[in-house]
Amino acid sequence: MRLPKGFQFSQGSLQDYVDCARRFFLRYVQRLAWPAVESEPILESEHYAQLGEQFHKMIQQHLIGVPAEKISAMITAEELREWWENYLEYYRQQAMANQTQLFPEIILSAPIGNHRLMAKFDLISLQKDGSLVITDWKTARKPPQRIWLERRLQTRVYPYLLSKAGDFLNNNHPIYPEQIRMIYWFANFPDQPEVFSYDRKTMKADQERLEYLVEAIEMGDEKAFHLTDDKKHCQFCVYRSLCGRGIQASNLDTDEESVEDITSFDDRLDIDQIAEIEY
Amino acid sequence: MKLTPDQLHIIEISPGEKIFLEGAAGCGKTTVGVEWLLFLMAQGVPASSILLLVPQRTMAKPYLEAMQIPGVSAGGFVAAMTMGGMARRMVDLFWPLVADQAGFARPDLPPTFLTLETAQYYMAQIVTPLLSQGLLDSVVIDPNRLFSQIIDNLNKAAVVGFPYQEIGERLKGAWNGEPEQAHIYEDAQQCANHFRSFCLEHNLLDFSLQMEVFTRRLWHLPPCRDFLNHTYRHLLAENIEEDTPVAHDLLREWMPEFESALLIYDTDGGYRRFLGADPQSAYSLKEQCTSQACFTNSFVKTMPIEALENDLSEILNPESHKPAHRSENIPKNQSDPRTALAHGFFRYYPEMLDWIAGQVQELVQYGLPPGEIVILAPFLSDALRFSIMHRLEDLHIPCISQRPSRSLREEPVTQCLLTLAYLAHPEWKDSYPLSKFDVAYALMQAIGGMDLIRSQLLSEIVFHPRKNVPQLTSFSIINPAMQERITLQLGDKYETLRLWLEAYQQEPPQELDHFICRLFGEVLSQPEFGFHTNMKSGEVTANLIESIQKFRWVAGDQLVQAGKSTGLEYLEMVRQGVIAAQYLRSWETDINDAVLISPAYTYLISNRPIEVQFWLDIGSRGWFERLYQPLTHPYVLSRHWETGRPWTDAEEISASQDTLARLTQGLLRRCRQKVYLGLSILGEQGYEQHGPLLSAFQRLLQQWQTEGEM
Repeated sequence: MRLPKGFQFSQGSLQDYVDCARRFFLRYVQRLAWPAVESEPILESEHYAQLGEQFHKMIQQHLIGVPAEKISAMITAEELREWWENYLEYYRQQAMANQTQLFPEIILSAPIGNHRLMAKFDLISLQKDGSLVITDWKTARKPPQRIWLERRLQTRVYPYLLSKAGDFLNNNHPIYPEQIRMIYWFANFPDQPEVFSYDRKTMKADQERLEYLVEAIEMGDEKAFHLTDDKKHCQFCVYRSLCGRGIQASNLDTDEESVEDITSFDDRLDIDQIAEIEY
Repeated sequence: MKLTPDQLHIIEISPGEKIFLEGAAGCGKTTVGVEWLLFLMAQGVPASSILLLVPQRTMAKPYLEAMQIPGVSAGGFVAAMTMGGMARRMVDLFWPLVADQAGFARPDLPPTFLTLETAQYYMAQIVTPLLSQGLLDSVVIDPNRLFSQIIDNLNKAAVVGFPYQEIGERLKGAWNGEPEQAHIYEDAQQCANHFRSFCLEHNLLDFSLQMEVFTRRLWHLPPCRDFLNHTYRHLLAENIEEDTPVAHDLLREWMPEFESALLIYDTDGGYRRFLGADPQSAYSLKEQCTSQACFTNSFVKTMPIEALENDLSEILNPESHKPAHRSENIPKNQSDPRTALAHGFFRYYPEMLDWIAGQVQELVQYGLPPGEIVILAPFLSDALRFSIMHRLEDLHIPCISQRPSRSLREEPVTQCLLTLAYLAHPEWKDSYPLSKFDVAYALMQAIGGMDLIRSQLLSEIVFHPRKNVPQLTSFSIINPAMQERITLQLGDKYETLRLWLEAYQQEPPQELDHFICRLFGEVLSQPEFGFHTNMKSGEVTANLIESIQKFRWVAGDQLVQAGKSTGLEYLEMVRQGVIAAQYLRSWETDINDAVLISPAYTYLISNRPIEVQFWLDIGSRGWFERLYQPLTHPYVLSRHWETGRPWTDAEEISASQDTLARLTQGLLRRCRQKVYLGLSILGEQGYEQHGPLLSAFQRLLQQWQTEGEM
């Protein structure tokens, strides 16, 4: 499949491919804008997404030197205040300021197949013991199951990419998989972070899987991008009308089977989102 | 790609050098820039420590594409941005430290960044009452153009670097017409003052305020400066001649902090002067560099094109003409510019368009890839764009249009969605009385297979503005003969749509963008509805939703407090042409396989050499004259105009000549083989035309004809 010029793989696009190859084709090959509702209730989803975005920005502000009290003074939403206080407590517990070198909002990229794989990290910290910790701030409303997280491509891509492309964050020394840990920290559940360690064996398996996925995409013709058999994915997919897979979006709160807050994990990073826009 | 020794020398120059590279378009400067960047990364410089500064996003494309190939080493990511983008990002990040000292009334609340659309909205809100008080009463232009020129003045003040309070004085000082008209500049100043006060009062930041807060405040604030110095250690600034004086001032101060730098300057550029570009100020950065280089050999032009460039330049602007790159000893048969020219002269405009389409078809049939052809016009109206694209599509030639903006509200998809929005909100009936034609047009778009005749028949029967409340009645009450004529299948789809709208009305009203989102997903994009197979409808709908959403996020709270509906206010603004008048395409189309149709300046800025250019309508004065903008002035509001000095007709003509000469030179330096000139005696509007570009070509051809006869 000829991918658009400049296309780069990300955990979001690969996750789309794994969930539904057709979705990948429509979104990244055809670049088809299809503005249907992704999940209900729409206003609440939007509100949550905005709060999540604001929360990420506040952490970045804090980590680049804006005093916490100045940031705190600007909070207007109660939920955000709670997340923020949880974060400050976590920051103190981890003693991030004293013990580590911090790299917030950093992008890494490495070759894969005939393309590149890229990811934007919320935070990478170089610890005094030489280990590197990836922290991903999550504002999910429900704590996801560990097994679900483990399978997510984000958990596979981030540590892999840090080892492959992060030498410059480690004073230009290679980063061995054993040095890496990935933490999902939940603003709503600050005491239940999920920590994933990394090792050579896992990295080898990740590399094989990522290369397999990229090759399958590069080699496949349009017919290979078939619709998923798991119709649950269609409930939260904007292309459902195009594929004849339903009318309304499902409700994240009432759908018992949808344990995970899919939208909050749906990081569809691409070059257009990273680069600055013209004002 | 094989590099010349000169190119290699710059790329591999010792680390720590700060290089100023100048040359005309097509000399290989960007190639050096790309290779310099890759070389730096190959030497172990983290990509994330490199700042790629461009005056416009499209100019970063060759660099981003080069970094996206698999062979580039793993690592971070080069930050590609404009100065405006950097300003916005820094203000957003360091807002808590700067809001108070920058004079915002609510420094304890987050900032709201205005887009051009939302800035235009607020300007309209502020200026409209002033207009009714008699301000700007002698300026006879569309109010929306008036609003945009006041915004433009504020932007000029910010990027040129003078206090916005001096706008009126500068413009008035240059006024050379009737003295009683000079007051319009005082009025324009008053409008700008009101707008700025309103922004400060409500934490609103338009482009001008973002730039001012960044360059005048944040840039001098240690945490921001430290962040920038720490993050970016190397600089690549591309096409600095297209950037603004304030950007150059900032670079001048920043340069000592960089470990290495490459500044690229196009000697004949400055095409974005109307946006504040200042080549002179850019050139002064040369002194900041430790090493200077100048490229003179073009990799693009053939000899006939070079001869054409020289001859045309000599005719258009003899005083400043410098045959700098004219090759010596060009054989006579290769220096005849006519071999690089083809032309078609017609009486009527459509005949010229037919000729162009035919010539394009011939070229493609002879094996020239469509992507090596560009059709250029001074301005590209929707009608012209449609006319050319329609002709090329009929000939099965792929084509795309490149315009900085396109009218969203004129799109049939938009009109359909907005009509359905009015139907779903009977409480908005006083705002806009829908006609049967509006409804028929909407139904034709909404229902797959519905033609205009059937949709008109249907709307005649089912649409009743009862008591001025727009309402649709059921298909089932139509007599069977008519049902059959419309067809039961279409009737069934109509019923689905009608019932959906009816069900919507039973619930509390939703935000307009959410309503459209639902309508699109649950009805219009479903099988057998009009948007299901129409891929473009998704793009237009997405753009409309985005426009409404941005409007709501910016103005929603204030409107709700004032007891107004955000959705209705948006629709009002669309009808008045304040918003949704333009939008940027969400995805940049891959333009390599298609004939490009573009305004001349947009093409120039894209920095893309091509085999064949078509210059459309060369008799038009649009190639020569500035847009009529009575409230602003790109030359007067620059650093090179002394306040109080009048702008005379002679200066206007001289500036126009210079602009035309630069424009044609820029185009020819991006052309490899041939230029096709299209002329119609009667222009697009039906008037006879004989602009200076046509005269110049006539002179050029006469000269060569005479030379041939001698």
